[in-house]
Amino acid sequence: MATVRRTMHVRYLLPAAVVAAVGLGGLLTSLSAGASTRSRAPSGTHAIAAPTPPIRYVGNFTPAQVHEGQVLFEANCSSCHGTQAEGSAVAPDLQGLGPATVDFWVSTGRMPLADASVQATRKPARFDNQQATAIAAYVASLAPTAQGFPSGIPYVDTQAGSLSMGNRLFVLNCAACHTITGAGDALAEGAYAPSLHVATSTQVAEAVRTGPGNMPVFGPGTLSNAQVADIVAYVTGPIQHPNDRGGIGLGGIGPVAEGFVALLIGVGGIMLIAFWLGERA
Amino acid sequence: MSTSSSSSSSSSSSTTTGSLSRRRSTPVDSGLGWLDDRLGVAKGGRIFMDKIFPDHWSFLLGEIALYSFVVLLATGVFLTLYFVPSAAQTVYHGVYKPLDGVKMSEAYASSVNISFAVRSGLVIRQMHHWAADVFIGSIAVHMCRIFFTGAFRKPRELNWIVGVSLLFLAIVNGFLGYSLPDDLISGTGIRIAYSILLSIPLVGSYLATLVFGGVFPGDGSIIPRFFILHVLILPAIIAGLIGAHLFMLVRQKHTQFPGHGRTEDNVVGSPMFPTFMAKTTGFLFMVTGVLWALGGLAQINPIWQFGPYVPYKISYAVQPDWYMGWLDGAMRIMPSWEFAGFGHTIPFMVFLPGVLFPGLTSILFIFWPFIEQKLTGDRAEHHLLDRPRDRPRRTAVGAAFLAFYFMLFCASSTDVLANFFQVSLNVVLWTFRFVVFIVPIIVGLFTYRICLDMTGVSHVGKRKRAVLIVRSATGEYTTVDTEARPGDGHHELEPMLVPGFIEGLDGDGAEGGEPGVRRVVRRP
Repeated sequence: MATVRRTMHVRYLLPAAVVAAVGLGGLLTSLSAGASTRSRAPSGTHAIAAPTPPIRYVGNFTPAQVHEGQVLFEANCSSCHGTQAEGSAVAPDLQGLGPATVDFWVSTGRMPLADASVQATRKPARFDNQQATAIAAYVASLAPTAQGFPSGIPYVDTQAGSLSMGNRLFVLNCAACHTITGAGDALAEGAYAPSLHVATSTQVAEAVRTGPGNMPVFGPGTLSNAQVADIVAYVTGPIQHPNDRGGIGLGGIGPVAEGFVALLIGVGGIMLIAFWLGERA
Repeated sequence: MSTSSSSSSSSSSSTTTGSLSRRRSTPVDSGLGWLDDRLGVAKGGRIFMDKIFPDHWSFLLGEIALYSFVVLLATGVFLTLYFVPSAAQTVYHGVYKPLDGVKMSEAYASSVNISFAVRSGLVIRQMHHWAADVFIGSIAVHMCRIFFTGAFRKPRELNWIVGVSLLFLAIVNGFLGYSLPDDLISGTGIRIAYSILLSIPLVGSYLATLVFGGVFPGDGSIIPRFFILHVLILPAIIAGLIGAHLFMLVRQKHTQFPGHGRTEDNVVGSPMFPTFMAKTTGFLFMVTGVLWALGGLAQINPIWQFGPYVPYKISYAVQPDWYMGWLDGAMRIMPSWEFAGFGHTIPFMVFLPGVLFPGLTSILFIFWPFIEQKLTGDRAEHHLLDRPRDRPRRTAVGAAFLAFYFMLFCASSTDVLANFFQVSLNVVLWTFRFVVFIVPIIVGLFTYRICLDMTGVSHVGKRKRAVLIVRSATGEYTTVDTEARPGDGHHELEPMLVPGFIEGLDGDGAEGGEPGVRRVVRRP
């Protein structure tokens, strides 16, 4: 008899608990959404008269840096690229590509290469920033930087960039491959546009200016330094820290994830409720 | 039996002792009496309240769609209060700073404002979107139940056609609603819709010009046109068809699974009032609760991250909502065939997957009851449902079709799959061109085999009993059927006659049988 009474209790308590929990959850979320409406959104700043240039290109390296870079280059890079970075049958000539190119490939961990696949993959960098700069300094010391490539490593003043201008430039120039949320996606024949969610401001500027892999070069004739700074501000701002109001972000890949949530959690969850409400035979 | 029967048994036991006819009248009674004196609601109301609904859980699937539609109407009304259906250009100076100073349509600006500046606007917008996804999802699941149990057979072919029409109208209205915010992603969808219209031979260019008011993006009339279709015309048609759907359901009585006491001539279940009414009202609240929770906890379509639609801008990795996935997938895997000659081009790569394929699909779905009648020669009336395993050929065909559309649905995310699994997009594309046809064949054959193996399994429609697995001294395992658990309160349903009028209950209660279970004799 005791067990019968207990099951009766559960039978009537469970629906009440489910309804209460769902209702309370809904109430709380709508309240929190109302509250966050009042909270301030991240403020974008328009630089009226920037005291510093939007991007500083640092290309003056000390002999000590060049020497450190030479040691690192000979130990880690020269087996493929040659001791004078002149290239070989398996690796390209690096002379004249400028320090920004080298710094990008090394600091993102793409170099040294893991394997010779279609596209170099970002991985934890083998060298720290100082070492990467040294390697870039050594390669830059071998030959003058070619026309169109920046002669220094770009350091971006992201505070000076305009988010709304960055948004417009990003949609126009970047979203066609990297997607509008910067999540990246597959391109043809195994190539892909990588995610922008982990890139540093310097790396974004380097990629724009030097065009690594399949990416086109956006030179000074296409995008001004101020425009690059706008894009970098947008990428390191709203792209990397999106305003994910409205709940769990679902990875920024849109309707694929949303469809699975709608069908599995939405329809599936309600079907479980129906299964519990109805008879089973 | 579950809670439903225990609550109904208490009510029917009180009515069988005749307490209802003798109890003191309440304000509700006098109010109803007032109405009855003027409108004569008692007779119709009595028939309605005594309507019997079978209790099987799968009969509640259609109600998910019904209640999602209720949520859609309620949240949609809220959204129309703040949405501006205009393509007129404006400069945004709102709360969301990354779009500050960006030129955009009034439609997009108001959608961003609903998400940021309107109190609880985002929750309602997300609820609306989740409800749309769940609405069409539950229609699909409901339709599967109808299909696999043969509930579309005579005399319910008309209701099947109404249901299929509802599915396609819901998909179209979902697409229209998805397009309204005029963000970068949905604008790309409208662009594709324009191209699909263009691809129709002979009339395509005229049709596209007519719909868009000019060459894409048209004269800005597409947003107000989609708006009036989305909020008035299609919802009105959908609501009307839902009414017809339910009217036919009540008129023809609900189908039921075969079982003890259930025949072609009766309906065994719970009465509309109070049991079914209480259950279904609770279900309405629970569906609303789940949609509310989704709207508040899971982000859907964060349009502010996408920016306004500008025809020369595009984002990669654009998918439609899930219910358009099968069309998008078909479009993606279609080889780029086209016919060019006599001064005209017919782009088969758009026309076949975008026009012909959905057209054939809708024709096939609508005429399925008649196709099956032709194939089986079965033109008899059916009120008892099939168990899917007892109709292996229909079940296999249905499973194969489900697999076909599911594979097309998956093909809609070729780029996401390629990126996630780090394989070449081209490999994924070619794989889908084959598996779209291979997988349904395998699924169909497999299902057919399983159905054949399952026919002849005993205890169909009975409650499961525990099976003891015994290991003998020599190590051999044998199974022993147990008795039904003693005292678990479950027993099979006994039918009981339900009279047309409540007064008759006094005498009929003596007939015995299981309290709370009534039988309706189908009048010829």
